[in-house]
Amino acid sequence: MTILILSMVVGLAAVTARGQGGGTETVDIGDPQGIDSMNPLVGVTAAAYEAWNIQYATLTNKAAKDFRVIPGLAESWESSDDKRTWTYHMREGQKWSDGKPLTAEDVAWTINTSREEEWINHTSVVANMEAEATDPNTLVVRSSVDDPKLPVLDVYILPKHVWGKMSADERENYDALDGVGSGPFTLDRFEKGQFARFKANPNYYGGRPGVDRVVLRKFNNPDAMVAALKTGELDAAEDIPGGAFNELKNDSNIQTIEGYQGAMSELAINGGDGLKKPHPALLDVTVRQAIGHAIDKETLVDRVLAGLGKPAHTLSVSPDPSWTPEIPADQQFDFDLDKARSMLEEAGYRDSDDDGIREMPGGGQPLNFTYYVRSDGESAPEIAEFVMGWLREIGIATTRKVADDTQLTTIIGKGDYDMFVWGWVPFVDPDQMLSYFTCDQVSDDPENPTDYYNDANYCDPEYDRLYKEQNVELDPDRRREIVHEMLTRFQQSGTYHVLYTEPNTQGYVKGRFDGWTRQPEKTGPVLYTNSSPTYAALEVASDSGGGGGDDDGGGAGTIIAIVVIALLAVGAGVVVARRRRTAYERE
Amino acid sequence: MSARLVAGKVLGSLATLLFVVCFNFFLFRVVETDPVANLFRGHQLSKAQRDELTRQFGLDKSTGGQFVAYLEQTATFNLGRSYTNNQPVASEIREKAGATIALVGISAVLSAVLGTLLGIAAAWRRRTKTDYSITGFTMGTYSMPDFWLGMLLLTLFAVVLGWFPVGGIVDPASDATGFAKLLDQAQHMFLPALTLTVAYLGEYAIVMRSSLLDTMREDYLVLARAKGLRDVLVRNRHAVPNALLPVVSLLAINFGLVLAGAIAVEAIFSWPGLGLATYEALKGPDLPMLQGLFLVFSASVILFNLIADLLYAYLDPRVRTA
Repeated sequence: MTILILSMVVGLAAVTARGQGGGTETVDIGDPQGIDSMNPLVGVTAAAYEAWNIQYATLTNKAAKDFRVIPGLAESWESSDDKRTWTYHMREGQKWSDGKPLTAEDVAWTINTSREEEWINHTSVVANMEAEATDPNTLVVRSSVDDPKLPVLDVYILPKHVWGKMSADERENYDALDGVGSGPFTLDRFEKGQFARFKANPNYYGGRPGVDRVVLRKFNNPDAMVAALKTGELDAAEDIPGGAFNELKNDSNIQTIEGYQGAMSELAINGGDGLKKPHPALLDVTVRQAIGHAIDKETLVDRVLAGLGKPAHTLSVSPDPSWTPEIPADQQFDFDLDKARSMLEEAGYRDSDDDGIREMPGGGQPLNFTYYVRSDGESAPEIAEFVMGWLREIGIATTRKVADDTQLTTIIGKGDYDMFVWGWVPFVDPDQMLSYFTCDQVSDDPENPTDYYNDANYCDPEYDRLYKEQNVELDPDRRREIVHEMLTRFQQSGTYHVLYTEPNTQGYVKGRFDGWTRQPEKTGPVLYTNSSPTYAALEVASDSGGGGGDDDGGGAGTIIAIVVIALLAVGAGVVVARRRRTAYERE
Repeated sequence: MSARLVAGKVLGSLATLLFVVCFNFFLFRVVETDPVANLFRGHQLSKAQRDELTRQFGLDKSTGGQFVAYLEQTATFNLGRSYTNNQPVASEIREKAGATIALVGISAVLSAVLGTLLGIAAAWRRRTKTDYSITGFTMGTYSMPDFWLGMLLLTLFAVVLGWFPVGGIVDPASDATGFAKLLDQAQHMFLPALTLTVAYLGEYAIVMRSSLLDTMREDYLVLARAKGLRDVLVRNRHAVPNALLPVVSLLAINFGLVLAGAIAVEAIFSWPGLGLATYEALKGPDLPMLQGLFLVFSASVILFNLIADLLYAYLDPRVRTA
């Protein structure tokens, strides 16, 4: 016991020491996922993207307001008449954080090398591009195809003087802890699996940021993360669990943010154009649409997401909501079980043997669908309970099967399912999400079924035609119209009932730092956004009352303490009493 | 102790280890998974990239071929590469072992010492208030799940009182070195260590108490008392040493598990050790990492069991001749 008490005293001494950090303003941000690798050729987690957004500036940047293209490392640009050749003019006299000059040559090297070596986070942007530095401040980029994404060039530009010395193999295995960057902050200290600490970059083109350091900290236990936010050990947190988030809304010290970036979940139905056909009834669009009428999206949002979400009607293909069409009211699948029943009835799916389950027209095979429930993620089993219940009410039975994400990817590729619930997070440009539902992306290779993305297994030649059209349409308004038409078509096929869009749940301590910037404005999150405008804007709050936030409100805390002690005491008491009662039998 | 006995025990342990090595391979192949797809989910991957990764992971070989390659690799302490971050498993494990050995090692020693002392006190004053309160407390903590206890302590000490950080091993804002850094780490270790110590001392106390009660009925204690020895001497020289044997084997078992760490407690306090690595690997699932971790865990259990066996033989002559 003495040792415990001793180490407690030591601990307390350390706490006292901790308060006296002195002089440096550090913004601590918590997240449950963590950075898998600092190397942009390797990492894939959201925290890794956040770290690169902090450390590496891009040639063009995106406005916080609406993702519009704005100057980044380049301050202006112009195109040739055919819009395939773009000339970018870099800002004068830029430097990397280590003081070496940052020139068009760094950009050209990054674009060309990433194309040749197919870097995982660069390749979709640069695949058809060739770059050349005609002088230190001028970069010419030629695209071999019509590319409506240009002039946006949002890949991380790496310092050639660090990365260019390595072979392709060495680059792939590099730990990337050099901390040489061009963003608002650069890596200062990295403890794998724990935290990454960044220091302000005096050479950042937007000027040195208003705080000295930013820490991205990983929490394996989301409850501990919320606790740290409440006690002020953290300044902000991402991915706060729903229950805790709703509670934090009432905490006067914390500003909660429900930030939408287009993340969605959908009930996908096997459209039957893949390697294996679904239940024959699902090939009938009426049945698929009737299923849409049997899903109460409001209830799902309330009960599964604790109210943190918005019911959705069709694919969300970008965090920019302007790409999502308004589905006309008469084409939406509103929740109406009677309508669903009568649609099935009229189409001939009747319950001929009175067992509560409909059969195929003319009797025979009952409507019993295979429903795959994801074992990864928490919401899938709950959604399944609701959806299976509603389907039962319109006379459709379901057979529940469970698979983890890797298994399910294979099952989808093989077409061996009737329905499942899963989700997507879109990129800013809608092209990628749209491409997933083209005929090319329907799996037709039983050997490599996971090389394809079309998890609706549905092929619509007209959708494909429109896809190609928007892919080369250089007029933004016209392109938006085409995309709206595609998404409405896709929604009407009934193969993909998008259930809801889900927000990033974030929070920050009020009154300590300013500059938390939503992207897109009003609806987006402040952290883990597409181009992370928050970091460059961070500054010490003008009204911060020094230290601030470290004191807990007390009321709730005391109650918890009393409850904890009472629980321990009651537990001990019960055990003692029971032992006393049985003491004689035992000895 | 005869050399034959020692050789026999060592050979037995090696055979067990070999079995574990082989069994491990097939155990983890029961799970059907596509690590390449897993690693790059949500990203476009060209056919060439995919083939290259498949080759790197050795997945282009037959199961037999993979098994042979696995045996060769394991024999040279190459445990393959992680499916989730593509780093060598052996170096990942080496990096994380320190944090776990420190945390669980200290807790194991503390819980053994404190638990044994409590057990002695309870047995010696059996059916007194001391006994009832010690037994009540230890039964309570023994039956309490460690993750629950951890959450309670975290809420009380880190959230309500704010005396300790809620997780991690060092304060990210600090650049401390030397003694100050050690203090920082000690402060971070306090809550997880307290949780593990409290959660495991009950076992020792209960075992020690019942073992000592058995010993106290032995004739030689009556004799010792009859000789007129003081109570303290009877306890410390005659009763306790003889009652310690079951505690020794418990100690060996628990030390064997030191490396396996405390998955739940490490996860709660974000303690970057092997327990947390196991938790993360399970989420993958990162088969080479799990395989490597299981191998290390099994090896350490086998090693400490061997030590316990030998120690037993040394301490108790009856085992030696049996």
